[in-house]
Amino acid sequence: MPDAINKVTIDVTVNGRKFRRQVEPRMLLVEFIREELGLTGTHIGCDTSYCGACTVQLDGAPVKSCTMFAVQADGCEVLTVEGLEKDGQLHPLQKSFSEHHGLQCGFCTPGMLMASHALLTDNPHPDRHAIKKAIAGNVCRCTGYQNIIKAVEAVAAGAKE
Amino acid sequence: MEMKFSGQFEVSPPPEKAFDLLSDPQKFAPLLPTFDSLEMKDANTAVVKVSVGIGKIRGTATTQMTLKEKTAPKHATYVGTGKVMGGAYTMISSYDLEPKGSGTLVKWQGEVQLVGKILSLAGGGLRGYAEQQIQSVVTSLQQAMSPEYQKEAAARKAAQAEKKSSGWMSGLMKKLRKHEESAPAAGATADEAVDAGVLLAGYTGPAMTAADATAVVSEPLHSFARNGDFSAAVTAHQGDKWVHASLSRKEDGRLVRGRGLFVDDYKVAGMLHMGLVRSPYGHARIVRIDTSKAEALPGVVCTLTGKEVAAVANPYMQIGPGEAQNIKDYPMAVDKAIYQGEPVVAVVAENPRIAADAAQLVEVEYEPLPAVTDWQTALEDKSILHPGLGTNHHWHGVYEYGDLDKAFAEAATVIKIGQLDFHRFASTPLETNAVVATWTPFGGVEFFCNNSFPAIVIQMIAPSLNLSIDQIRCKTMDVGGSFGNKIGNYPYMALAALASRKAGGRPVKWVETRTEHMQAGGHGSERAYLDTEVAVDKEGVITAIRAKHIDDCGAYPRYEPLGCVIWSQVLPACYKLRNIRIDFNQVVTNKGPSSPNRGYSRLQQLWFMERVIDICAHELGIPADEMRLRNYIRDFPYTTPNGCVYDSGNYPLLLEKAKELIGWDEWKQKQAAARAEGRWIGIGIGTTLDSGTNNFGQARIVNPYLPFSGNSEVATIKLDLDGTVVVMLGSTPSGQGHETTTAQVVADELGIRPDMVEVRTGFDTTFNSHGGHSGSYASQFAVTGLSAAHGACQKLKKEMKKLAAFALEANEDDLEFGIGQQGPEVRVKGTDRSINYWGLSAMVNINTAGQPPELADVTLNIRHVYRPPFKIPDTDKKFGNLTLTYASQLHIAVVEIDTRTYVPQILAYAAIDDCGSVINPKIVAGQVHGATAHGIGAAMMEAYIYDKEANLLTSTFTDYTPITVMNMPDLAYGDIETPSPFSYNGAKGMGEGGGAPLHTICAAIQDALFDKGVVVHNTFNPPSDIYRLLKNPNRSGFVKVERRAA
Repeated sequence: MPDAINKVTIDVTVNGRKFRRQVEPRMLLVEFIREELGLTGTHIGCDTSYCGACTVQLDGAPVKSCTMFAVQADGCEVLTVEGLEKDGQLHPLQKSFSEHHGLQCGFCTPGMLMASHALLTDNPHPDRHAIKKAIAGNVCRCTGYQNIIKAVEAVAAGAKE
Repeated sequence: MEMKFSGQFEVSPPPEKAFDLLSDPQKFAPLLPTFDSLEMKDANTAVVKVSVGIGKIRGTATTQMTLKEKTAPKHATYVGTGKVMGGAYTMISSYDLEPKGSGTLVKWQGEVQLVGKILSLAGGGLRGYAEQQIQSVVTSLQQAMSPEYQKEAAARKAAQAEKKSSGWMSGLMKKLRKHEESAPAAGATADEAVDAGVLLAGYTGPAMTAADATAVVSEPLHSFARNGDFSAAVTAHQGDKWVHASLSRKEDGRLVRGRGLFVDDYKVAGMLHMGLVRSPYGHARIVRIDTSKAEALPGVVCTLTGKEVAAVANPYMQIGPGEAQNIKDYPMAVDKAIYQGEPVVAVVAENPRIAADAAQLVEVEYEPLPAVTDWQTALEDKSILHPGLGTNHHWHGVYEYGDLDKAFAEAATVIKIGQLDFHRFASTPLETNAVVATWTPFGGVEFFCNNSFPAIVIQMIAPSLNLSIDQIRCKTMDVGGSFGNKIGNYPYMALAALASRKAGGRPVKWVETRTEHMQAGGHGSERAYLDTEVAVDKEGVITAIRAKHIDDCGAYPRYEPLGCVIWSQVLPACYKLRNIRIDFNQVVTNKGPSSPNRGYSRLQQLWFMERVIDICAHELGIPADEMRLRNYIRDFPYTTPNGCVYDSGNYPLLLEKAKELIGWDEWKQKQAAARAEGRWIGIGIGTTLDSGTNNFGQARIVNPYLPFSGNSEVATIKLDLDGTVVVMLGSTPSGQGHETTTAQVVADELGIRPDMVEVRTGFDTTFNSHGGHSGSYASQFAVTGLSAAHGACQKLKKEMKKLAAFALEANEDDLEFGIGQQGPEVRVKGTDRSINYWGLSAMVNINTAGQPPELADVTLNIRHVYRPPFKIPDTDKKFGNLTLTYASQLHIAVVEIDTRTYVPQILAYAAIDDCGSVINPKIVAGQVHGATAHGIGAAMMEAYIYDKEANLLTSTFTDYTPITVMNMPDLAYGDIETPSPFSYNGAKGMGEGGGAPLHTICAAIQDALFDKGVVVHNTFNPPSDIYRLLKNPNRSGFVKVERRAA
């Protein structure tokens, strides 16, 4: 192991704001988001990309930020849960998760929101199966998933009207 | 009292114009500060509503404003009358106008008369307040009469109208439609596509050009309200009663924003990070440790070994009796490691990555010892884990009730069942164990942690670290799930504290990795059931059961052997048999230490009883539903053979409702048709109990010398300086919504709204709101926590009445609580005489002069300890009431096993819950959903599997496969309510759920395969095991039925 690790300069846009930072090449994207930027809504649950608590969007696609290096996000746009609220108004998905009790401890919630947000961006009218597939890589230990599905369905139904 | 004010000001319009505005109540009233609305009674009289109050105590006050004198364009006089907190007022204001240049000089006079004792007491403060109000009226008048102001106002109004139509929702919908029309950006320009993406992302600000933003917040400061989202949920609710309302949660506001505060989110200056070197062996002597290379790595602050720990700390208190007291349990291995993943060396560094590097540089030489991985090997005692204990047989006791010999002699049938096994699994909360510990300059330790039973944990840690309890500050905030598992993380709290001490008092954070959690973060105990014999009468009623049970609690007992008695809270499950003998044993093995796990120890007993019922039903040819109906307990309260009192319930009704919900008859027909086609479909029933609110006196059944009994939970409630109602609890919620349900209860008690109640998050020893049993475990908050909050409310109300009676010159009996024009208040029934919470608090905290000595003992700061009415159990007979409430659930599942792949699939699932009176139906349903997912996961997917060398084979989520949405059936949910007679609110604790899916799925699989000669004997049924069962059907050797002559 080298005595000093050479840092690499990266430019990453997070929630619409550009950041230039010097990071260790081995720093994970989730560590960059949590430690460098202080955005702690993105969580670490399993270290092996099974649980999806670390899900963010990279150039619009949901990714597991514990399984990517920060340097791989150089030049990319990242959206985290903190970027969902706008003008003090919660995103409809955030409201719906609360209304339908789609969260209990709230630890998986940011990942669930980012995965389902990516789904609705691609497909505003998903059916139940499509919703399940979209969050198949996100583990929730509290809700049994029932109300999470309901919360996403309600937003999708709202978009139809 | 009376107050007089006067002054003058100039305005630019001539007297005629100025008078026109002044003399028209419709134009004048809106200039009043905090104007809300106006209604004209006649040409000269307006009823004006203004919002008043301080902080959260806000309301609207109504003033009647009459234009009494009017001499154009020279003079106008208004008389206003109204009610304010604790009294009434009359206000006379007159205006004299004189021309001055092209404008007008306005001379004004004001006179305020106040009636009511509290207003007199608070007079000094009110003068300042009144002056301020008058000054703002004057400023408004000046502004209103100047043309520049009129222009500005018109522009503001126009801007507001525009803002309304371009809100977030409509913007999103527009963009969504646009996105749809042009997808995939075919007709749209690249910029537009980006724009759409950005809008969906919730970001519409100008494109950023700065290359290096330093802050993550780019939005302007928006106006805010504390609990803004919760207030919206409260406002949306119909009605003014809050208990039993399906209210959305107060907690959600921060959690959906990703702004919860979990331990790993917490950073403090100078904070270090701890990494652990752990034993790769299940059982090994530690020969040599060399930390020098790790310590030489730049960024490493120090290391810590087991020997260093043992030199300064005491081993943890042991709960077990006799020789079990000699077990040496330190937070780190000292001479040998006894499970894979046991901490051996701690490394403390400037960041977690350096700590991980340094951990790899630590050299440890081990001498492997024979591993003990099952109860049979454990009982051979060839390889002993704890020399002090001298055996691996940690606990033994016989629970015997009734007359077994007689019952078996009189039985029509005796059914003997082979070995049943309850497998090893855990709830694996998504947030792993974590702590930030600081050894403070004052000689104590501060913990910010996610332990879920901190009150007992500080009693374990303090003597271990030679501290007194008051030297430990322990606090939790948001906890990412616990399910009992996090009760067991205190060794890491102590390690982080010692690391902080060695690092000169710098704060030390430790966050468990997922693999560390799987190896060492707390497993649910395994249990084996041997020599089971069941006596059944000729009606199919079970009269007696005898068996031998063996628990495997892993390497260190820690919370054990409490599991050796806790199961007996539900000794006969839901059934009325009176003769039971269980020879209960516990062994230690080289596996991860067990911890309480959702349904702790009871679900093992409940699964056993449900297996017995189903196996007997199948052997006797009695349908599973009928078998249950013949055996259910029906009369409540019911005293079990071991003295537990089942408070209430209606198991036949649960069964009936669940059958309706799933469509029982239809599925029976479908099952018959499918079987005819050669398909394997089974229908299973599981009835279960969730016993809540422990009597800790049961600990004496495992060790008569333990000093525990009963239970306690604490709530404190106060009116803060501004009258805000603040509640602090002793619980450590991890998703159960305690902030919300407590606010619901307090709101009902005080006749106010839940968003007027502040419930602080989490546990904190500095809240002074905990007893020795405080925490979140064992299905109890709805009883213990809410009873504490309710009791605190009663005491607070007494004090508030005492103050209000004096202030309002009324009898306490004539007072009532509610919301008035100035927010939450106490008023004289049927009158408009009232005092709000700010006024009450002011009497104790701010304007305290002039009060009689009778009020001297009032503090408006209440601490209430709820203690359920328990007795100490008879430890010789193992008899007594061990829990206060018994929630029940009944599940039905339809399971099909694929005839080619042997994969079981759930086709339909229904769950009915009865937890007595429900506080928040939404939260209760959520708990049932969650517990059901845990049970289904455990029955079909999740297992801690060890090899013979005590290597954990399922040490990542990828191997352990916690249940995902793809494996989860859609749940049909329903409930009934049989209120508990033992809790003030009729509620029963219910979070643990009782593991019904384990019973239900095992029953369904057996129902599908019984005619193939298969008896389900294990809680865990992956396709590979089902395949083995079908290849080697076990029934003939496994179950023996002896029919006796009548």
